[in-house]
Amino acid sequence: MNPRWTLLKRNLLDFWQTFRRNRMGLVGAFLVLTAVLAAVFAPLLSPYTPTETMRDAGGRALTFAPPSVHAPLGTDDAGRDVWTQLVYGARISLTVGFLAGFIAMFIGSLFGITAGYFGGWVDNLLMRITDVLLVIPDLPLILVLVATVRQLDLKVSPLVILVLVIGLLYWTSTARLIRSQVLSIKERQYVYRARAIGAGNWHIVRRHILPQIMPLIVANTVLILSTAILIESGLAFLGLGDPTQPSWGTMLNFAFDRNAVTNGAWWFYLPPGLAIIWATLGCVLLGNVLEEMLNPRLASHHLEGEQSIVTHPPAPFPAREGGVAKSDGG
Amino acid sequence: MKSRKWLVQVILIAAVLLSACGQTGGGGQEPVVLKVGWTGAPDTLNPAYAFLTESFTIFDLVYSALTTQAVSGEYVGNLAKEWTHSDDGLTWTFTLNDGITWHNGEPFTAADVAWTINAIIADPDGWAAVSNYTANFVEAAAPDDQTVVITLDTPVGNMEYRLSWIYIVYPPDFEVFTTPEDLQNFTNDTPTGTGPFKVTTFDKDLGVLVMDTYPDYFGGAAKIDQITFQTFDNSDAMVQALKVGDIDMVIDVPQSAFATVEGFENVKAVKTEGSYFSELIINSAPADFDPAPNKNPALDDPQVRLAMAYAINKQDLVDAVLQDLGVVGDTIVPPQLGGGFWHNPNVQDTPFDLTKANEVLEQAGYVAGADGVREKDGVRLEFRLQFPSDNPLYPRIADLLTAWFKEAGIKTTPESVDPDSLYVQMTPAGDFDLVIWGWGPDPDPDFILSVMTTDQFVDGGWSDSGYMNPEYDQLYLDQQVTVDRDARQAIIWEMQEMVFNDRPYIVFWYEDLLRAYRSDRFTGFIESPLGIEIYQSMLQVEPVQ
Repeated sequence: MNPRWTLLKRNLLDFWQTFRRNRMGLVGAFLVLTAVLAAVFAPLLSPYTPTETMRDAGGRALTFAPPSVHAPLGTDDAGRDVWTQLVYGARISLTVGFLAGFIAMFIGSLFGITAGYFGGWVDNLLMRITDVLLVIPDLPLILVLVATVRQLDLKVSPLVILVLVIGLLYWTSTARLIRSQVLSIKERQYVYRARAIGAGNWHIVRRHILPQIMPLIVANTVLILSTAILIESGLAFLGLGDPTQPSWGTMLNFAFDRNAVTNGAWWFYLPPGLAIIWATLGCVLLGNVLEEMLNPRLASHHLEGEQSIVTHPPAPFPAREGGVAKSDGG
Repeated sequence: MKSRKWLVQVILIAAVLLSACGQTGGGGQEPVVLKVGWTGAPDTLNPAYAFLTESFTIFDLVYSALTTQAVSGEYVGNLAKEWTHSDDGLTWTFTLNDGITWHNGEPFTAADVAWTINAIIADPDGWAAVSNYTANFVEAAAPDDQTVVITLDTPVGNMEYRLSWIYIVYPPDFEVFTTPEDLQNFTNDTPTGTGPFKVTTFDKDLGVLVMDTYPDYFGGAAKIDQITFQTFDNSDAMVQALKVGDIDMVIDVPQSAFATVEGFENVKAVKTEGSYFSELIINSAPADFDPAPNKNPALDDPQVRLAMAYAINKQDLVDAVLQDLGVVGDTIVPPQLGGGFWHNPNVQDTPFDLTKANEVLEQAGYVAGADGVREKDGVRLEFRLQFPSDNPLYPRIADLLTAWFKEAGIKTTPESVDPDSLYVQMTPAGDFDLVIWGWGPDPDPDFILSVMTTDQFVDGGWSDSGYMNPEYDQLYLDQQVTVDRDARQAIIWEMQEMVFNDRPYIVFWYEDLLRAYRSDRFTGFIESPLGIEIYQSMLQVEPVQ
């Protein structure tokens, strides 16, 4: 137990040492972290509730009021504080994004590992299902699905429908990525050896394959998050979200429906738009950097190493040396 | 299809270029064009099978009916000069105006009127858009060119209103159709009418409709030469087009943009009394109804309904949600109908008073629990508060109601539901507590009154509250056959009071009708609750000198 912990600790420290030197990664982490913190501490960041109508001394609602001391980002069409909705909206946007992203990741990994590891007809079946989903255009399909499911009168929140539909549709690229990685890992010597000494499928997947592809899964999850947040905002903007819960997409939907542009109320539509960019950009930057660091295939020294193998087939030794040297350099 | 669209575009561009040439070269003789912007478009120009308001806006300018609604709200003659009815109310005799001609120059006669009405009576499926207006009609006859006689099987209380919706069509255009389907599929893109304007181009794909003035209109030709209607996909774009002068007039200015439009230079924003209302629907379906309603039984307690009425600040809803573009509402018959003739002014609205709301509930035995929600005999005042997802105003109303109700110890949970599934859930399943929804009533109160009748609470019916009151149902039938206007008014006033006191609906407001036009270019619009686009108004419009 103890040595494993120290190993993990050292790995994490190593990881942090490499990560902190990557400026893009740091920016991404900062963007994601601030958005998450805003969502978690929303009640501390605003004195109002998101459904509270702000009023003047005479009790009249202050609709489309420009930014002021009381409402730093102005008010919307119903006189609500935009800043309050923005931080509370982060909760819905990020929760839907995260849940949908995790569902997609789970299904994608399950499909990818099963297909890649077992091969044969299992692979064929799972990959054909993946192909079918890949060729159908995402947005029209998702629009039709959400609209139809909402008509079924299932007595669940529209947000649950959003989470499920996004999660159940956006796993295809992950499944393909993971499958290809598993295909290569399962052919490695240590997997054959493990099998030779009698290890079962479950053991091999759990102890030898999963740890190898875990970094890929982590990096991909962060990337899928950005897609999920974007899709949630898009659907909410089109009126398929839950209007009783503020999310960034819902805010844009109201801004559009209630003529914020004509009213010159830029403070109503710019903040949610920028917030969406903030969170998705953060996820993309973070995801790309994680993928680069954790996925050995993307690292340049491997390509070079392979090239040298090709050019000098009988001499694997220098290639390995070069690989080690470069990987130390980061 | 595509090539045709292309061709029309080329023609339009050519037309614009030509008219531009005319303007520079002609000097003083250029045609006066009124450019109208709207966010809708007619579904078809065939009066037999048109259902959208936009279609009827066009018919009003192109066709004529025997009667028409005047800006005062009363019905006056249009094609008909005068009319009488027999004492039993079963025979109506109309005398037509002189000098009426069709757009192609042919003379218009009483036989054309009789043909149209008889065609509707004979083929209600084909004429589905208007066939309800000929209910109880037996036949129409034309004893001479100037006289139309309509016979009925029971007296009809709103005869003039019904006839105002029956646009008389040119028989040769419609005689060719032998089946209802053929008639329904007829697009009638260049209708032959008797109205002051004549459609020359209608392109649904481009959203463009052009009509020229008909110089021989029997009521005197219009003072402008042409009207164009342009459909906008986005209301912000439409408002901007009005601001920069690309269009001269806007039908249905969005509420949230009206204040801004009022500030535009050279633009007159017109706000008149309107009839659209929104309401809180309280599930009133009786517990022994089949199918059994699924609702909180506390809703059947009149004291709970009274408390909810006290807890709604209607003026604040008008201010904050409607942006002050409407008035507080009380009965289901808006004052706009019939110029105020049908609205019962004696109904005393329940004022906003949270103390009173709490008192009423306290006296009725509802005691606040630990979480502030009142309850009595184990029944908590906790309700679903649903609304259709296609209206941006309703979530705002729901949040305000929830906050006020909370102060009275009533807990409501807002929920947005797809409009179609919400309807199925309500009528006749009765699976709801409280719902926010609205109506756009007909000019005659008959329709909005029918919404509260027992036999409308069926699949496909109009009742969404489940209100059932035999006394009300009888009054509804009475007003249908009461030809005397004052007698009918008395019945309708009683019905409104009944509904107000039983509270299947709590009406929040009546929305204003919002229009705008370029006052630097045109003048003479009649600003009435019927809109500035009605034919009476378009006949008066003239360019600013």
